Amino acid sequence: MPFLELDVLNNAPQPILGIDLGTTYSLAALWRDGRPVVLRPKGSRDGRIPSVLHFPEEGGVVVGARARALALEHPESTLFSVKRFMGRGLADVREDLERVPFRATESNTGLVSFHVQGRAWTPQELSARILRHVWEIASEALGEPAPKRAVITVPAYFDDAQRQATRDAAKLAGLEALRILNEPTAASLAYGLDRRKQGTVAVYDFGGGTFDVSILSIEEGVFRVLATAGDTHLGGDDVDRELVSLSLAQSAGELGPEARADPAVQQGLRLAAERCKIELTTAMEADLAFLAPHEGLRLRRRILRAELERAIEPLLARTLDACRRAFADARLMPAEIDEVVLVGGSTRMPCVRATVQRFFGKKPHTELDPDEVVALGAAVQGHVLSGGTRELLLLDVTPLSLGLETLGGAVSKIIQRNTPVPSQATEPFTTYAENQTGIDFNVVQGERELARDCRSLGRFKLSGLPPMPAGLARVAVRFALDADGILTVTAKEESTGKEASIDVRPMHGLSDAEVEGMLQASYAHAREDFEASRLANLKVELDVMLRAAEAHYRDAGLDRETVAEIREAIEAARRARESADLAAAQKARDELERATLPLAAALMDAVAKGALAGKRLDEV
Amino acid sequence: MTIVQHEHAPENCPKCWAKLATPLFCETCQHMLESSQTLSPFRALGIPPTYELNAMALRKRLLALSRRLHPDFHANADPATQGLALRNSAELNSAFEVLSDDVRRADWLVKSLAGPSEEEERSMPSAFLAEVLEWNEAIEAARRDPEDGTLRAALDELERKLDDERRRTMAEVARMLSPLPPARSETLRSIRKHLNAVRYIDRARHEISELALRRSSATPC
Repeated sequence: MPFLELDVLNNAPQPILGIDLGTTYSLAALWRDGRPVVLRPKGSRDGRIPSVLHFPEEGGVVVGARARALALEHPESTLFSVKRFMGRGLADVREDLERVPFRATESNTGLVSFHVQGRAWTPQELSARILRHVWEIASEALGEPAPKRAVITVPAYFDDAQRQATRDAAKLAGLEALRILNEPTAASLAYGLDRRKQGTVAVYDFGGGTFDVSILSIEEGVFRVLATAGDTHLGGDDVDRELVSLSLAQSAGELGPEARADPAVQQGLRLAAERCKIELTTAMEADLAFLAPHEGLRLRRRILRAELERAIEPLLARTLDACRRAFADARLMPAEIDEVVLVGGSTRMPCVRATVQRFFGKKPHTELDPDEVVALGAAVQGHVLSGGTRELLLLDVTPLSLGLETLGGAVSKIIQRNTPVPSQATEPFTTYAENQTGIDFNVVQGERELARDCRSLGRFKLSGLPPMPAGLARVAVRFALDADGILTVTAKEESTGKEASIDVRPMHGLSDAEVEGMLQASYAHAREDFEASRLANLKVELDVMLRAAEAHYRDAGLDRETVAEIREAIEAARRARESADLAAAQKARDELERATLPLAAALMDAVAKGALAGKRLDEV
Repeated sequence: MTIVQHEHAPENCPKCWAKLATPLFCETCQHMLESSQTLSPFRALGIPPTYELNAMALRKRLLALSRRLHPDFHANADPATQGLALRNSAELNSAFEVLSDDVRRADWLVKSLAGPSEEEERSMPSAFLAEVLEWNEAIEAARRDPEDGTLRAALDELERKLDDERRRTMAEVARMLSPLPPARSETLRSIRKHLNAVRYIDRARHEISELALRRSSATPC
């Protein structure tokens, strides 16, 4: 019975990757040997991959730590915080755009797109590049191709358009997003793995670009979300910005308006603010020091932790507003919470911890790395989806109400916020004019009373109704939300059975045809793209290696022969750096690495030992 | 239309003929089933249609059925099964949403007993009306001047009063619905009026909490 064997094989659970696609950092984790583990880049203790992309003039894309290292020198061709633009139109993100050094336009379909290397890139395509890089690093860590099926996390407060954009990004990356999972829910899974845990848990998730709070009840291994609230425009990015304003307010003379408008200066200030913020997590005061690469501009400001804390008070107040909303919806009081979990890098700040502790009246959990806990939870959910366990189950909710615009511009809510998903609801509608033969539907998402204040997810028309007196047609509109929180709407005239349905394709999203087109294009150019990116990465690596070698090889106390050999390798590498030959660049890189081995050893032994220890090459 | 007529879902499992508690899933042979289009929330969860419910038993029922129906446990199944899991899970969740909320549960029962809908009967119990005017004024005043201490105290007082009033009104609804009154009876109209009052109270409570939320952005650090 050969079929039987095959069957057994097919039933073996296929592992599913967990990916945290973050505003500032992304990372992957996988369930292995009974627990979730972060898949770290080789030779790194830090699993986080900066969600940064650099587009060198000569083509290709550099993603991650290397791209981040280039942000200062190439502010206009290094993109970050792409997640803030997912599923958004230009009008939604005007403020965000003022704060980033790169420029965007709106495509004719209403999508935000960024211009680098002489072409337009949608946030979905950019996120796809990040996902692809995360997948490659995961494969490298595993020593074999990582699973192509993945659970990808999003902020709980993401709306339909943002969720679909994430799903499309996965598709463009050649991955199958088996589930779009809410970040705070994922975190609760990582914390509550121990299924004996029972009780009510609050997750306070203050990340790089977004804030979420979720309240869950854990009972017999079922994690049921009771309510969630948040702000998709509130995160560590905003903290950095407050720090920048703080330092500029008192150094008006040093940086004039012209310098402040310079993308390179903006980028430099942003990075300096981030460093300063991280230092202030442990120190009571720190320098915000900034040196523009070419202009000779400098800025140095001593920032006290207390100053930072005062500056971000309004931000923290907004997080607590969201917490209050979540409690009101869950019909609970903060005192009824058994445990509080902190997620997101911003929760490292002592004043955030203190604020949370005061609000909930409980010391929050911080045992797991707040940057890794979401990816770990995604891996747990991947394990569940792969059929690995039936002990755990997530029951999540939709963060925003869904409805239809009615006559006069009001909203008739059909699915209320914090309704468990999957979910479905049917509402009867009718015609308002004599012999009306069609009805236009505007599907909206949001809490406001008027449709124009909510987000329109899309419009569709039910036509071909038989002419009838007003109010006699019976149109049943069905809203169905899947487990990812993504909506499908169908409308049916009950007397005729006439049906219209839309997969609500958001206004600021890609159509299936567009996704398909992009995929086709990427297949067609797969080889060139791959080689261009590989070359771009090699060149970046060569630059870093060259800089390090040139700075030290003469006076590291090496014998003359080695010095000569290094000099030769440097020359060869410089030539290869300027050519477009992938094989030559690879050869030069390997040769340079081999020739500089004695140099590295000498440096490690000598004075530089302390300075270099624990740092990656691209950080030196 | 009565509850009995709602129950046109199959009584026995088409696969193993065991008696079904819920048309969504056969708990005897563990098969997911195609359910009919309109399903009573009580039938979906497999519990008898009564107003008084044991909240914990209801929740346990949701969890037990979710463990069978949720799409997460069918992610590797064929597309048809996946679709069924999605639909049945959605049906289950919607049913739980109705039954776990006292007002929605009462509303559903009134409608299923062919009682008046909220469009057909818009009035509230008469004893209620005089107070409503007074309450509206207190909320309006507080909205105009959110910082006024006396108005705030009055609002807190009103919130307590509304809570009491809600409890009293829902107790009255519970009394009228237990046991279920006959279909189309006058009791249903009275229940509808009480539910209208509770809707008003809930809206007022919501507005008060919104006012409180707007006030409470106090300094956190």
